Amino acid sequence: MKRLAIVIALFALGSSALAVDLKRYETRLDVGADGSGRAQATVEVRKAAPGRLKLPTGFAALPDFAADEAPAGAMMTPRSADGTAWIELTLPEGVPAEFTLRFGFATPGVLAAPRPEKGQKPTLPEGSRVLRHTFVNTQDASIGRYALVARLPSGEIVHRIQEQSPAVKRKEFTPRVELDRLDGQQSATLQLSGLRQGDRTAMSIEVVPARRSPAWALMLLPLALAWLWQFKDLARPSAAAAKGDAT
Amino acid sequence: MNAPPILTPDEQRDRRLVELLGMDRMTLSSRPRDVQSATDRWMRYLGFPGGIALFLLVLYLPPGAGLSASAQAGAACFALALVWWVTEPFPTYVTSLVLMFLLLVTRVATDKTIMYVLGMDVIWLNLLAFILSSMLVKVRLAKRMALWLILRFGKTAPRALLAFVILHMLLAPLIPATAARAVMVLPLMVVVAAIYGASEAHNNNVGRNLMLLNLGCISVLSSMTMTGSAANLIAVGLMQTMADQRVYYMDWVRVGTPLAVITMLLMWWIGQKLIFPVPPEQRQPQLAGGLDLVRNQYAELGPLSRDEKKALAIFGGVLALWMTDVFHMQWFGVEISAPFAALLGAVIVLMPRWGLLQWSEAEIPWHLLIFSAGAYAGGLALDDTGAAAWGVKMLFGSFDLKSVPFGVAFTVVVAVMMYSHLLTTSKTVRTLIMLPIIITLAKALGWSPISLALPAALCIDWVVGLPISGKPNVILFSTNQYSVGDNFRYGMVTCTVGVLLQIVFAFTWYRWIGLTPDFFAVAP
Repeated sequence: MKRLAIVIALFALGSSALAVDLKRYETRLDVGADGSGRAQATVEVRKAAPGRLKLPTGFAALPDFAADEAPAGAMMTPRSADGTAWIELTLPEGVPAEFTLRFGFATPGVLAAPRPEKGQKPTLPEGSRVLRHTFVNTQDASIGRYALVARLPSGEIVHRIQEQSPAVKRKEFTPRVELDRLDGQQSATLQLSGLRQGDRTAMSIEVVPARRSPAWALMLLPLALAWLWQFKDLARPSAAAAKGDAT
Repeated sequence: MNAPPILTPDEQRDRRLVELLGMDRMTLSSRPRDVQSATDRWMRYLGFPGGIALFLLVLYLPPGAGLSASAQAGAACFALALVWWVTEPFPTYVTSLVLMFLLLVTRVATDKTIMYVLGMDVIWLNLLAFILSSMLVKVRLAKRMALWLILRFGKTAPRALLAFVILHMLLAPLIPATAARAVMVLPLMVVVAAIYGASEAHNNNVGRNLMLLNLGCISVLSSMTMTGSAANLIAVGLMQTMADQRVYYMDWVRVGTPLAVITMLLMWWIGQKLIFPVPPEQRQPQLAGGLDLVRNQYAELGPLSRDEKKALAIFGGVLALWMTDVFHMQWFGVEISAPFAALLGAVIVLMPRWGLLQWSEAEIPWHLLIFSAGAYAGGLALDDTGAAAWGVKMLFGSFDLKSVPFGVAFTVVVAVMMYSHLLTTSKTVRTLIMLPIIITLAKALGWSPISLALPAALCIDWVVGLPISGKPNVILFSTNQYSVGDNFRYGMVTCTVGVLLQIVFAFTWYRWIGLTPDFFAVAP
């Protein structure tokens, strides 16, 4: 918590020179079967002015960073420290007041099986993996809507949403984490509107193979057949009455 | 040693009924039901494999886009339990235990989540209600009140049933907590049922009508006022914030009260005539000597005893706390919820010397608390995993309501809202999922949001389809006077009557007061 406060304070100092409004910040994360993925972010900037801005990403590092769209003369530099990565955005004189930024980066090991601590019991079964994402608005501009759309690997689905924060307020009508289908695969969208400086949103989802084990059928079907054979007398009036084993 | 006297069958029947009325030997523990019909027997035989088949079918269906694997597994577990609760291959509480185990091994819920359900407020209220009921039974106050009710209003079974409808119409606006109302009338209902020959071991149609009519009244009459339940108030809030249309107390009353009252009066008639027909011989009190015996029994009670007065004061105190919950914060600096009001009553009842009951005299049907716990664990799993929300959204998504007359959209919205209570055990969850969809839908279709949202909101409290659909359902099911199937039949008829009445109202009353447009109007 203390570390988070320091990080926020540093970011606040660094970005105080530039007062902008981030209307929409959306990151699409395509996750591969090996658990690594690639993120593609789109940021709609309003009321821009020359200066520097530290744009938080919610990821630990930004390898293979590629700036795809930015106003002429603007510079996007990926930075990371203490397990937090951000984009240092420098806007030149004469930058338009409204523009869109697009950038992408690799996210190795974003979907991984958690390793239990030494001496601890595993908390997830074999084959389960977890995708965690936490985004903190570390700069002083508010963000109109933040979303991370994670598209899962083919043949895998969400088993359970382990964490979704902050809790949905009474006046919100969309869930914090919404499951859907995207390009033929299941996706999980983390969404929050009106993020002020210091606001945090997070999700943690457990992902499992979509194909279920046949064990349930192999176990229960013989049981059903055994019941039909063993309890034939239940259907006979005299036997049922004599046994008196109704509820 | 004297040999026990040999009694004729008539004498045996009379003795049994007098014992029931005395309630000294009445327990709510598990007892075998009467011999079942051929249909019941076949249902039991096929219910077990049927439940398994449905479980496997739901489990192995291709996963829906917005559905998690745990939600799908939760729906499969719940489907299995539902089939077993209805067909009863096992006692309902065993099915609940199976459901709890399945929820764990399919990883729908954690062991803590499942076990904690036994500590939920509804389970506590159930337990405490049985302590209070035991007190009323022990001091014979329940018997006195029931005999008085029969002598005053219920010379026949239909009149006794009508007396309960009127009683609930008076109670509903005074006590918003439905579970509290159920607890209040429970002992009265058990004794009245006994007078008409119905007990947990010997079910009859008077008992079924009595319990299920009361269940309907408790739930449905909550929709008379917007303060009838917390979910009603949430719906009003949503209409204000999302549609910018304010619903005042009397706005709600003039649409909700006629609908609820007419429905329950219709159900009073339909129940005894069509669903569970009451044969002429069951219409009279089932005691040799009929009403004379009831009169004699009432006279034998004499004036109110000291214990009865004490019980009346304790129960009255609890009742007062239930009725004044809105003032608690102002008076005590804390809100004493319905279970805690009952807890206070139970503490006084169980006090040594000052109290009225010893712990061993309290009839607590643990098997029914286990049934309730399992049912709630299943229901909560549906809510927590998002299966209920997904199911409700799918229900709406399957209808194309663009360019259809208002009446068609109205009918679909009301019907979906009414029957969707089978998917979730929480009125609040259902309201928070459905109302925003309905308001958005109304706007998209070009209708005034309130014309669809308010009639839909009136259905929030109609949770009458299953013994797990609401807290009073769980409490009344504990009487063992009806099966899950009986509840489903009666509940579905009640809901259907409600939907049909809403359609009639949309043609007439709602139209006259300006709530809805012309039934056949098409939006521009």
